[in-house]
Amino acid sequence: MEDRQESTAPQKEVCSRFKCRLCGVAPFFVGIVVALVFGWWLFPTLMFSSQEQPVQFTHNTHVHDAGLDCTYCHKIRPDGTFSAFPTTAECAVCHQVLLGDSKAERVFWDEYVRTGKEVAWLVYQKQPDNVFFSHAPHSLENCNNCHEFSKTELCLFCHVSVKDKAPTYYENRLSGYSKNTMKMWQCERCHANPNHLAGTAANNACFVCHK
Amino acid sequence: MLDRRGFLKFVGGAAVGTLATPVVWKGLDDLSIWTQNWPWIPRLDKGNNLNTYITTTSKLCPSASGMRVRLVNGRPVRVLGDVNNPLSRGGVSALASAEVQLRYSPARLKRPLRKTSDGTYVAISWSEAETVLRAELAKAAKDGGLLCLSGDENGTMNELLSALTVATGSSDFYLMPGEAQTTAAAWKSLGGKGRVGYDFARSDYVLAVGAGVLENWGPVVGNRRAWGQARPQDGEPAMRLAYAGPVQNNTAAGADLWLPIRPGTEMAFLLGIAQILFARGCQSAGVESFVQLASEWTPDKVAAVTGLAPERLQMAVEQLLSAKAPLIIVGTDLAQGGEAVPVILGIALNTLLDRINQDGGLRVLPVAEPVFSRAMSYGDMMAQDFTAAVRAVAEKKRPAPSMVMIYEANPVYAMPGGAGVEALLQNAGFTVSFSCFFDETAKQCDLILPAAMGLERLDDVSTPFGFGESFYTLCRPVAKPLYEARAAGDVLLGVARQIGLDLGYASYKDALEAKAARLGIDWGKLMEGACITSRVTLPLQSLIFPSEQIATALQGRLAQPEKGTLAVATLTKLAFGTADSAIPPFCTKLVTDAELTAGELSASMNSATIRSLGLSEGMKVRLVAGEASLPARVRAFEGVAMGTVALATGFGHANFDAFNNGKGSNVMDLFTAVEEPGTGLAVWRCPDVKIVKA
Amino acid sequence: MSATQEFRIKWGMVIDLDKCTGCGSCMVACQAENNVPPAEDGLNRRRALNWLLVYRLSNGKPFPDHDIAYLPRPCMQCGKPSCVSVCPVVATTKDEEGGIVSQVTPRCIGCRYCMASCPYHARYFNWHDPVWPAGMEKTLTPDVSVRPRGVVEKCTFCHHRLMAAKDRAYAEGRDPEKLPDGAYVTSCTEACPNGAISFGDVNNPEHKVHELIKSPYAFRLLERLGTDPQVWYVSRREWVRRLGDNYLNNEPTKG
Repeated sequence: MEDRQESTAPQKEVCSRFKCRLCGVAPFFVGIVVALVFGWWLFPTLMFSSQEQPVQFTHNTHVHDAGLDCTYCHKIRPDGTFSAFPTTAECAVCHQVLLGDSKAERVFWDEYVRTGKEVAWLVYQKQPDNVFFSHAPHSLENCNNCHEFSKTELCLFCHVSVKDKAPTYYENRLSGYSKNTMKMWQCERCHANPNHLAGTAANNACFVCHK
Repeated sequence: MLDRRGFLKFVGGAAVGTLATPVVWKGLDDLSIWTQNWPWIPRLDKGNNLNTYITTTSKLCPSASGMRVRLVNGRPVRVLGDVNNPLSRGGVSALASAEVQLRYSPARLKRPLRKTSDGTYVAISWSEAETVLRAELAKAAKDGGLLCLSGDENGTMNELLSALTVATGSSDFYLMPGEAQTTAAAWKSLGGKGRVGYDFARSDYVLAVGAGVLENWGPVVGNRRAWGQARPQDGEPAMRLAYAGPVQNNTAAGADLWLPIRPGTEMAFLLGIAQILFARGCQSAGVESFVQLASEWTPDKVAAVTGLAPERLQMAVEQLLSAKAPLIIVGTDLAQGGEAVPVILGIALNTLLDRINQDGGLRVLPVAEPVFSRAMSYGDMMAQDFTAAVRAVAEKKRPAPSMVMIYEANPVYAMPGGAGVEALLQNAGFTVSFSCFFDETAKQCDLILPAAMGLERLDDVSTPFGFGESFYTLCRPVAKPLYEARAAGDVLLGVARQIGLDLGYASYKDALEAKAARLGIDWGKLMEGACITSRVTLPLQSLIFPSEQIATALQGRLAQPEKGTLAVATLTKLAFGTADSAIPPFCTKLVTDAELTAGELSASMNSATIRSLGLSEGMKVRLVAGEASLPARVRAFEGVAMGTVALATGFGHANFDAFNNGKGSNVMDLFTAVEEPGTGLAVWRCPDVKIVKA
Repeated sequence: MSATQEFRIKWGMVIDLDKCTGCGSCMVACQAENNVPPAEDGLNRRRALNWLLVYRLSNGKPFPDHDIAYLPRPCMQCGKPSCVSVCPVVATTKDEEGGIVSQVTPRCIGCRYCMASCPYHARYFNWHDPVWPAGMEKTLTPDVSVRPRGVVEKCTFCHHRLMAAKDRAYAEGRDPEKLPDGAYVTSCTEACPNGAISFGDVNNPEHKVHELIKSPYAFRLLERLGTDPQVWYVSRREWVRRLGDNYLNNEPTKG
């Protein structure tokens, strides 16, 4: 097609011919580049809305500085349920008074401790209603029957790090899920792993994870 | 410049490029996830997965089901059985099971309403409502014209309401007619003291006459638990059950022996049993007149009246005699407005078998004194006959009350159509209803106040009717009242105090604490959900057998049905609500063709009866009794006595909610209130009906 | 094929039909536990979904020899489930230890082949979106996802309760694959005031149901279809057992 077009244009020089051939395919490549830029850079930005956590929480302050054990706040209850986030009342056991003069502390104390309101934490790993996940079987004890994970390693297998700063929370505008919501294939890294099936009770049956 | 061709190249390039980006795949994935989460489908609220449990007792279920309410992050989501409850022992009725969801019933009354002169309802605030209530109560206290009706069956609320009624100078406090009053009337005419309880759980042979002991009579959940536990799947049953009644209902389904008798012939049946027992040498002191009365009731005569084959009657007696701890329980399927004479006969038979105050027998329970100083005693309360009072007003034998106050009762729906409740409400000076639901009765009242449901208030349950032990427990709130509902007890105590009627307690909780102290129970334990039982009985005084009353009652009951008419039997299931509720939203799926056929009431008859009337199954008919008539559809069911038509109760709510409206008809429309010959008790009776093809 | 997989644990239900009086407590408990929406007209088969349905049985004799019985019907969790083999999208499987037939509703495309293949009518299709009266959605449990229109659903033996029992075992340091009798029971089992329903691992001699299914009065529905259900019924009444399968007139009843 291009040849025909060019043959109908008389009096063309060789170099300009070559140039125009480039000109001829340029829009195509521009299209590719634009699409790639859109698809890899703009689209993911557009696709997600971002929100900051209502309180700038850091694990560093609590674990490293205050010396709290993880299970002080995140515990498996005697009935096997996981306590997830502590309630404001539970936080207020320590935060009865202002601890330090950070902005985050001020916000937490003014807006939550004093009012008794619960913090609407944004859950990075929030799973949809049809997923059943329990922390009880995914314990360090169970996993370390074979592995040698540290607590942090195991948690970070699924969770994002809140070590220094609570990262920005991104929510998919279409599906409403968090950007960090694990996909099924991520669960299947272990659940569908043949080596894994032999040693643990978990398998890849639908109802192991769905409800 | 970019020409058309160039643009197309660009688009082509973009398309190719896009395939190398996540746009399509991620977009499709997100789109599919989006389709799985429609915004109008409710999301689950997992919170931080905290489950808590509160044990309490149902005020909705007449059997006082012990409940263990599951809350997720403080939200009540489920009613489970409470295994530590000595009455229901982990069982829970279909009605109590649906109670958490019933809080959000569309029929729930949300805020105080005032009925205007043109019949519309205007929402008012609680302070306005209390002002009106105060003014009206003060007026009633001047003329002593307050009439109060309570739908509570076993709580201290009745003491409060009766104390308030008495304080205004009136004695018109009534309970909704129920099995308790019938039994109390029977016990009274035998000269008994205290109250009657049936030790169902320890009996090894129960003969239930009319009483749906496995569906709606007395502490039914406890009965069923005991009955079930006595019948291990892999062994011989330790308890057998015989049921005498016109319909093969849920109690008959669990009975080892069904004794089909025509409706209203329980007396003949019981006398037939007595006759055989006497003939077999059963004796007890002071029953000479009973022997004489029973002597003519040979199995053949019983068969002629009841329609029961003599062999089956004999079989029942043999089983009674061979049992170690037999128990006879007499009641009605309706569990309301029953006749006292059959109950008298039932108690007399228990006496004859030496079953009084025995384990697994009929037990005479003490009655606690009320904690409100002006409250009526248990005996006085039981003797108050609402049906008779309503009739007296209708017949202008007494003036209409200047004020009517109704607490958690729906007499407009639940009382016989011919009883005259609507006339009472129309003629009363001022009417007020404390109700959880905007029901038929509330709709007719001038002031309508939203009451907190049993799950939303502090209340108590004290020895539910029929239970063989004294029992006391608290009903603890599991959630705050929804909308603007309030606990009626505190509202009334406050209003009464403001008009100078001091009932002795600042709050209902104080009254309950006083009650606990009176019974010698630790309040702290009660607030942890403890249930206290006692097997103390009153010594039995010699009972006087009221043979004249019975003879008179028999006279009035022996008329043979007219040819072509059918006796009406009711079919009551607890799941379809009680006299002060309706079918809960979660119970509509329990409705079957036994209750409704094509949206109309099923008129269940056995095929011989259908043939004899020239009807056919599915046919539209009307059941006619005097002025009243009901539409229905013929349904063949072989579990109905000859010459009898069975109709389900609990249907025909005209204006309740979408889960009730437009379903069948209200059987009570066929009923009238009549005076029982002999005892003078106002009883509900359905005349024999004619079936007319519609 | 996974449909004939054998499991070490086999969750089974034994229902004593002589102890069922048809009160419906199990049906109410089932709906509330599994977030099944209420239906204004419970008789409307397109609106009313019943994971558990109580049927009324009759011995077919005229009055006064008539007898009735009630039969609660959950999903039979068949050993050889006909629904699994027909599902084109693997939305229903029998692949988990314990033998509960799963139903993953977000995966279901609503073709309803499984409904056609189920001989027990245990499966229900959502013709409509679920609707709760205003506010009643606050009583939804967090355990079972809410199903939109267009998918099939069924009884799962309250599978979430199995998961909860396992979690409790983990928390208490017990073996979650060796749950003691009663640690995991379905909502209907717990709700029945008569105690007509027993539940447990039929392969485990320490569980009560292990013996109960050996009763000469035990039978399973339509046993001769070869579906190998995990729900057993017990009745001492011959006529009840006879209704459990399609017997020829001259055939004796099993048990």
